[in-house]
Amino acid sequence: MLLVCVTFPLIWVGGLVTTHTAGMAVPDWPSTYGYNLFLYPWQQWFFGPWDLFVEHGHRLLGAMSGLVTIGLLVSLWRCEDRRWIKWLGVVALLAVVGQGLLGGMRVVLDARQLAKIHGCVGPAFFALCVAMAMFTSRRWRHPKFIQSSSTASRIRVLACGTLVLAYVQLVLGAHLRHLPLGFDRHDFRATLLMHLFVACALVVQGFALAWRAGRWHRHTVGLYRPAVALAMLLVAQIALGCGTWITNYGWPVWFDRWDIAGSFTIETNGQLQSLTTTAHVAMGSLILATALMTVLASFRFLVRPTPATVSTQTEPAPMTLETVS
Amino acid sequence: MILSLPATELRRVAYRDSGVVNFVANEGLTVVHHSAVRPSLTTIVLLLGIMSAAGCSRYTPPSFSLNTEGIDRAEKYADGTQKYSPEKMQAVVNAVVAAFGEPDDPFVFEETELDRAKIQMSAGPVSSDIEGTPHGLYRKHCSQCHGISGDGAGPSAMLLNPYPRDFRKGIFKFTSTAQGAKPTDDDLRKSILAGIPGTGMPSFGTLSPEEIDSLVEYVKYLGYRGEVETLIQSLIVDEDEELDYEFLLDEAVVPIADLWIDSQDESMIVVPEDPRPSDREASVAAGRKMFAGERGCAKCHGPTGAGDGKEKNYDMWNNLKVTRTPEDIKKLWALPLQELRPRNLRAGVYRGGRDAIDIYRRIYVGIKGTPMPASGPPPGQSAATGALPEGSKAMNSTQIWNLVDYVLSLPYEDDLKKDDAVASNNGLGGWRITARRVARLGRTESCEY
Repeated sequence: MLLVCVTFPLIWVGGLVTTHTAGMAVPDWPSTYGYNLFLYPWQQWFFGPWDLFVEHGHRLLGAMSGLVTIGLLVSLWRCEDRRWIKWLGVVALLAVVGQGLLGGMRVVLDARQLAKIHGCVGPAFFALCVAMAMFTSRRWRHPKFIQSSSTASRIRVLACGTLVLAYVQLVLGAHLRHLPLGFDRHDFRATLLMHLFVACALVVQGFALAWRAGRWHRHTVGLYRPAVALAMLLVAQIALGCGTWITNYGWPVWFDRWDIAGSFTIETNGQLQSLTTTAHVAMGSLILATALMTVLASFRFLVRPTPATVSTQTEPAPMTLETVS
Repeated sequence: MILSLPATELRRVAYRDSGVVNFVANEGLTVVHHSAVRPSLTTIVLLLGIMSAAGCSRYTPPSFSLNTEGIDRAEKYADGTQKYSPEKMQAVVNAVVAAFGEPDDPFVFEETELDRAKIQMSAGPVSSDIEGTPHGLYRKHCSQCHGISGDGAGPSAMLLNPYPRDFRKGIFKFTSTAQGAKPTDDDLRKSILAGIPGTGMPSFGTLSPEEIDSLVEYVKYLGYRGEVETLIQSLIVDEDEELDYEFLLDEAVVPIADLWIDSQDESMIVVPEDPRPSDREASVAAGRKMFAGERGCAKCHGPTGAGDGKEKNYDMWNNLKVTRTPEDIKKLWALPLQELRPRNLRAGVYRGGRDAIDIYRRIYVGIKGTPMPASGPPPGQSAATGALPEGSKAMNSTQIWNLVDYVLSLPYEDDLKKDDAVASNNGLGGWRITARRVARLGRTESCEY
């Protein structure tokens, strides 16, 4: 949970770095203007240029995230009895190190393509952290009950589909944020339309998941709560997405007759633009992590009914609760 | 005339002859580059492994794109039989590179009077130094819409209405200067600082004055460059002679530079010669009469100024596309045909500025590159009342003020002069203006004129 709490602000600050195009504010890596990362004078960091503040802060938070991952790995190898969790900790450490290297090489090579990959791996690492938090939670280890239901497979398919869509959407968003030089305008439009299309699909999928989880598995709180949260996050994300476009490119022309649209002037690097765009990025990571929670919950807290409990009814099967000691 | 010298050779000659050899090194304009501090060999080897797996490579400098529309126009204006060969196109590229350099390494002749230090600040990739001095401002803030070449066709341009400005024609809509003149630095600065409401053009009010000045200079640089490119395209279309450095400078760069430099003169700025009428009500009434009748404003802006007059309007950037086939448009222009909508004057939103003097200048010199005509007299003639020559169709200063007063009264008209509205306003969705909203927009009475 500590790792999740450290990584989420890291995602925010990373988004802020891209929003302010501050990725090249510090030209060297792993040092900061020749200083060791941790020894860079805090006065220069706090009272220096904003771009430097954001970029160096991102590096420090990244380093902190790496240190917490190391701590997690040590505690897992000392206290955890499940072998696969231990190795998942190793994967997490490799992921955070790889992500750090990607970020570093993005600076050293000034490669926007790398910035994009860095922006896609970050949310995936955050989702992994959330998964680790779930695996190590008491509810996961000692669930009060596991629901046997014939709808388990359908919920799992829905949840997995949502997860895939959420990540595809995130990659498309990263593509729009880190446009390569000379990126073709037709490609930009195609990517944007795809982003909108996947957004619609994701909302439909997310709401279907929440509705079905509510209808069939309301008592399975480990599944129901993240599914409902996911639907709410998607609504917020749609609003943030619209806000991001408006604060960066203005209102679409067909809104021109509205007073607010016709007189609206975009403010570059304004608080509204910065906050909305970065929140949209961070919310994407949160949606990905929540979608992963629903997937994991659907596999952990639901089981397919045994042949003895299979109902002759077709739709949906009555719920049975199997108490787990 | 064919330019046979390669760009690098021409540049060398140009540098030598203009006496600015190695100006970057001499003037200390070096940009702090990210590759200045290198990681250890082990780190490089390790990371290059990851990079190669990811298919990534080091930063590749971009280039300016060729103005294909200019070539088409040059071919058309020649006798119709001249076609641009690949060699000739390369010659144009060489000449323009020689005169203006590349996006990461801009160059200007001294004759242009452009400030190289300011241009350097906006050119190249985005970075900043330890003092927070930014570089690559144009790429950070502008190229997404205006494109690397300033052709108004950046990645997001197609989705915007109106399209971002194509700087290569050197024509800017909102200027304080006379008909046909280029904008002043202050005009460009104002557009960048205030933005343009209701469009994709943002306000850059959060940037420092130095950054704004740098962007102004870079926009001018792109304008110079685009115009010189077009001029060269038309000059060499049916010539077979050798194009040398003197020709490039004297026939292409200097004439364009003169246009820009002359426009900075104070005499080019439109200043009202008569004071604004003190009897505002009478002025509004006179303005209303002109609007609906003799001046023909209602033709485009509609009888009530709601922007619902003539439907098919095109600015000069789109007008050339009207008679072309979709295939031609696709080949020659980056962006499809886009209609222009006349302003809804009842909305109280004026894109070129909402002070009375801004509206005065919009009427006097028009909105350049658009069907909004210049109504004031041409440069050199006085607009003072009674000073216009016999038979002149231009408006005098007082008449322009009358129209300004009427235009500025339109958002309030339902409150002030509802019964006197030129036509029925009912049912027009474009101006559901309330007194509260108008109060929010703010009156424009503070202008000294």
